[in-house]
Amino acid sequence: MSALLDIRDLRLGFKGLRGITEVLHGIDLAIAAGERVALVGESGSGKSVTARIILGLLQEARAARVSGAVEFDGRDISTMPARQRAKLRGTEMSMIFQDPTSSLNPTFTIGRQFAEVMRRRQPEMSREACDRRASEMLAEVSIPDPARVLSAYPFQLSGGMNQRVMIAMALVNHPKLLLADEPGTALDVSVQALTLRLMHDLVERHGTAVLFISHNLGVVREFADRVYVIYRGRIVEEGPTRALFDNPGHAYTRALMSAVPRITGAGLPEVPEVSDDFLAPMVRHTGGAA
Amino acid sequence: MSSVLRILLRRLGISVIVLIGVSMLIFAIARIIPGDPARIALGPNATAEQVVMIRTEMHLDEPIVAQYGHFVADVLRGDLGTSLYTNRPVTTDIAEFLPATLELVIFAGILMVGFGLPLGILAARHRGRWPDHVVRVLTLLTVSAPSFVWAVILMLLFAFYLPLFPVAGRLDSAYDITRVTGFLTVDTLIAGNFGAFLDALHHLVLPAVALALSGIGQAARLTRANMVETYDKPYIEMAEAYGFFPSRIARRYAFKPSLIPSLTIIGLDFAAMLGNAFLVEAVFAWPGLSRYGVAVILRKDLNAIMGTVLIIALTFLVVNIIVDLLIAFLNTRIRHSTRGAT
Ligand SMILES: Nc1ncnc2c1ncn2[C@@H]1O[C@H](COP(=O)(O)OP(=O)(O)OP(=O)(O)O)[C@@H](O)[C@H]1O
Ligand SMILES: [Mg+2]
Repeated sequence: MSALLDIRDLRLGFKGLRGITEVLHGIDLAIAAGERVALVGESGSGKSVTARIILGLLQEARAARVSGAVEFDGRDISTMPARQRAKLRGTEMSMIFQDPTSSLNPTFTIGRQFAEVMRRRQPEMSREACDRRASEMLAEVSIPDPARVLSAYPFQLSGGMNQRVMIAMALVNHPKLLLADEPGTALDVSVQALTLRLMHDLVERHGTAVLFISHNLGVVREFADRVYVIYRGRIVEEGPTRALFDNPGHAYTRALMSAVPRITGAGLPEVPEVSDDFLAPMVRHTGGAA
Repeated sequence: MSSVLRILLRRLGISVIVLIGVSMLIFAIARIIPGDPARIALGPNATAEQVVMIRTEMHLDEPIVAQYGHFVADVLRGDLGTSLYTNRPVTTDIAEFLPATLELVIFAGILMVGFGLPLGILAARHRGRWPDHVVRVLTLLTVSAPSFVWAVILMLLFAFYLPLFPVAGRLDSAYDITRVTGFLTVDTLIAGNFGAFLDALHHLVLPAVALALSGIGQAARLTRANMVETYDKPYIEMAEAYGFFPSRIARRYAFKPSLIPSLTIIGLDFAAMLGNAFLVEAVFAWPGLSRYGVAVILRKDLNAIMGTVLIIALTFLVVNIIVDLLIAFLNTRIRHSTRGAT
């Protein structure tokens, strides 16, 4: 299997006043084309920074020290020139954020923002063509009145509506990889569950690979084919969703699971105390789907 | 558009009130100043009879309220009286000297927008890196000294030690330009004399830069501060995640919401330059209204002083109204730089 994304021994440090603080300590993570992979861990474990490295954004930050290989589609993102990296963003890979309403630009209409995104792929595309394509895409995320939404500003729409807009926008250029960093956790639980299901169907239909970042094991279980559990900048367990949930091998994973709230999609898991067992070696589930 | 109209009407109303206040104030000050206006007008050798006559003529024997009434009536008729200094109607004097000041201030205003905003954008875009540090240090320098100090420094540096620019005046005496608007950069072009146009510009540079420097610094610093704040917003991160060019993100995403506060401060600075121009004009021997104002103040030329103050107040108000309308117009176009506004 040749992976769409192949991360090997990824390390990240931030230069601060007292030397360099290591945040990622050698992460290995792979995603096959069309595969849905979840990255779960508590707050501050290094999930968002991993996504920012895949997008090639942290490599450009002055304080960040990134090492290791991040191969996307056979090319190493970390070593390619900044311009090349920027070319991949918004075309080959795209991202969905936690709070849809504040992630959309309040000074532009939705239609305008769609057009900007689409012109990343096809710079010559006319506004009419963009609007037509955006309407199709909005229909795919079950937005009943695309024309009204396209002429609206983000703050004129509900959070759930904006979330759908964001999913549509992220997929409009047919990216190979979608990064979803705790999508919609700022939203109402039922709205969140609904839009996640929409997203699930859509990426399945388009064959888009997803790196799904979450606190929430309940959501992950429904969404992902495979799961990585991250603890303090290290992957502690990896395996197919079924295998991992049926038979969690690592102490930290077990602690996370016992902390999963009963109601699907709600709240943050609170891992009560820190145990030395959490630093045990990584557990890898083999076999099953991959 | 109706909101713009509403703002215009409200500002006009406020302006009328301000003008009435200013006129009362200068009228009162003129009456408080020691010395009999009639005697000042007639000179030391006047006879008592002449003084009585002129007092009646100037309504000085009437109650103060009536005197103010006459004053306002005259002003409304466009009669600001005669200057004792030039022996001409004050309106004629102002028409002669005001354009020079306006030309200087407008040119400085162009510099303020033309340099202040781009420098602020540059610094914000490279925040924390050397272009930011350079801009911040330089702008701190420019805002920390008043414009007349800059006038002296610039004159010493670029007119004396390095004679790159003329020391004084608006135009070389070799040129003879017919006066049409009083703006030499315009009149020279009307006359089709391009050499004179360049010479007029050449004369404008140093005083305009001196006048604009602190405004440039303020505009740049404010623009930077607002943009840096905007750069922390999630939608900027989203724009980065979608691979938009940094220059595009800077202009379209980060700058746009900062435009209104920046324009507001530029508008205020622009109006303040009318006052600062007084000292800059003095340094560069710029034959503008400020120099006229100083001259008439030193001679206790009451009509001329009152006229000058009124005109400056009027210009100030007009500038403010223009800036307000511009901002209102942009506001309706930008709609929402901040959520929930309007
Ligand atoms: N720009 C930065 N400079 C310094 N440290 C940073 C920076 N960005 C992130 N970090 C640190 O890196 C660590 C991982 O952060 P990250 O945002 O990836 O956590 P996370 O797993 O996404 O957490 P959350 O679930 O709260 O979003 C944190 O300890 C954070 O303090
Ligand atoms: Mg995060």
